[in-house]
Amino acid sequence: MFNPFPVVIADYRRNRLLVGITLALIAIAVAIGVAVIAQERALRQGSARAADDFDLLVGAPGSPTQLVLTSVYLKLQAIPLVSGKVLAATAGAPGVRYAAPIAFGDNHDGYPIVGTISDFASRGGELSPTAGRFFSKRGEAVVGAGVPLSIGAQIHPEHGQHHADEAEKRVHEHALSYTVVGRLPARYNVWDKAILVPVEDVWAVHDLPTGHEAGSVRIGPPWTLDLLPGVPAIAVKPESVGAAYALRGKFRSNDSMALFPAEVLNELYGTLGDVRDLMSLLALATQALVVLAVLLALLVGFLARARQFAVLRAIGASSAYVFCVIWLEVSVLIAGGAALGLALGYGASWALSGWIATRIGFTLPPSMGYEELLLAVSLAGIGLIIATLPALLSLRQPIAEGLKA
Amino acid sequence: MAIIDDHLKVSDLRFRFAGQAADLFHVEHLTLSPGQTLGIRGASGAGKTTLLHCLAGIEPVNAGSIRWGGQEISSLSQSALTRWRQQHLGLVFQDFHLVEGLSALDNVLLPASFNAWRPASILRERADALLKRVDIWSPGRPAELLSRGERQRVAVARALLFEPRIVLADEPTASLDPENRNTVSRLLLDLAREHGATLIVISHDAALLEQLDGKLELRDGALHTLESAHV
Repeated sequence: MFNPFPVVIADYRRNRLLVGITLALIAIAVAIGVAVIAQERALRQGSARAADDFDLLVGAPGSPTQLVLTSVYLKLQAIPLVSGKVLAATAGAPGVRYAAPIAFGDNHDGYPIVGTISDFASRGGELSPTAGRFFSKRGEAVVGAGVPLSIGAQIHPEHGQHHADEAEKRVHEHALSYTVVGRLPARYNVWDKAILVPVEDVWAVHDLPTGHEAGSVRIGPPWTLDLLPGVPAIAVKPESVGAAYALRGKFRSNDSMALFPAEVLNELYGTLGDVRDLMSLLALATQALVVLAVLLALLVGFLARARQFAVLRAIGASSAYVFCVIWLEVSVLIAGGAALGLALGYGASWALSGWIATRIGFTLPPSMGYEELLLAVSLAGIGLIIATLPALLSLRQPIAEGLKA
Repeated sequence: MAIIDDHLKVSDLRFRFAGQAADLFHVEHLTLSPGQTLGIRGASGAGKTTLLHCLAGIEPVNAGSIRWGGQEISSLSQSALTRWRQQHLGLVFQDFHLVEGLSALDNVLLPASFNAWRPASILRERADALLKRVDIWSPGRPAELLSRGERQRVAVARALLFEPRIVLADEPTASLDPENRNTVSRLLLDLAREHGATLIVISHDAALLEQLDGKLELRDGALHTLESAHV
């Protein structure tokens, strides 16, 4: 039994700067790979979570991706409206628990105002407000958990991007106000930043029929078909999986398209996964290059220390002792760098998730998965194996030759 | 592998570098009694260090016999030679060869780490005592902060940690100023004699050589006797 650590630690102490740089290089290389994998997973899980409230989406014929981005992720863009006829048909179709119009275009202080029905606000009764109540009449609003408005606050909608007319803008800002009557629990998605109001108010403020007779203050279905405007999207809550498929088939027509957001997301994830694979490959290549460069530098260093190792052997150290000194010096650096990189990568992913969440509005849950662990452990393992090379090379040199080096 | 007695006996020792036709040296006969001190001098390139390496089992010989205390070392395997050096040999180099990053005490204790996880307390006490004996009073000081004289004194202490019966020193005072030269020479000799070790020193230091029991010169590939050594 011997103890090579005194010499290993002494060498680290003597070359603090080099050790620090080596550790940093390996750590950064590993962290890049870890962050790529962790962030892709976070993006996938976060985006999937956001789509949980949307079993089936119905919209006007066009881009499924656009429909999902606009309605599920509130990436508000001008998309064709699906007709009031389709809205009425979905609301009355068998197997539908609710069919909620999703109408947007206005905002308050950057928080999107979305016109819908109280069934959607409560997610079919699954949600209860954390404060106040759901809206029950025109002029009332329910805010998401991330909207900084208190119960009783009065808000005026600001015009959306399609209002270019100053007069219309004035009508918007002065003719309508909402009173906040409730707050929803956190959903950890972009809808935490939304303000939900009766869809009739959104129609009215855009000078459209409200689905009810003039002068009526009713909200929600049933609507009068002739007075029912179109909407960008309809969120349909089916009563069963079978009903969902039936409804999807029923509303795929010349007038409408119906889709499961999960289908669209799967396609996106497929692309994301391909990108992730490519970036993982690049990260792996970077790591391999860094490890190789580090090993070459260490090898040159060890060759320059041939005399030190020859002296150790001359004064009684076995070849196994010297082998262990060299192997440990390399292995500890690589394994240490990999471990540090794992922590750094997770930290970077956590920070990135926070930053991205503020920009896209939904939470990305950073987590450590087996893929990242496998990456770090594999790199460390390969490093441990490759570390035997300088160790073996140093043993090939005779002691006397090393003493003359 | 038991040491029968501490006599050095060299017979018909030949060494030549690979690819060379002629021997670098040929030592027909050399013996030393236990505890005897011997100096070897010679011109640069004569082969003094190589001869010392052969006697230490570091350099394999082409022919001949080297027996320390009855143990033929020229036929030992590398691992057996390593064990032999651990147990019986102390080496002092011209350039000290301390491990920077370790303290003076840890440098003296370094050989203990070659066959144990932690040095035994008796070795720690011996290392402390040796450092005091060589006038090093800050055992915790890092080797790189020691003066040249201090480093060589620590190297002498390291060579004597296991109380070897054989001490080989290659130009131990060549890198030192005159004052440190005298100090190290005196310490090396005193400690070798205190431990009863057989001491062989390669040196050009006339003052050091004068204090040794015998002196040889390696010249023209052969050892030429001067005093008290059998050649």
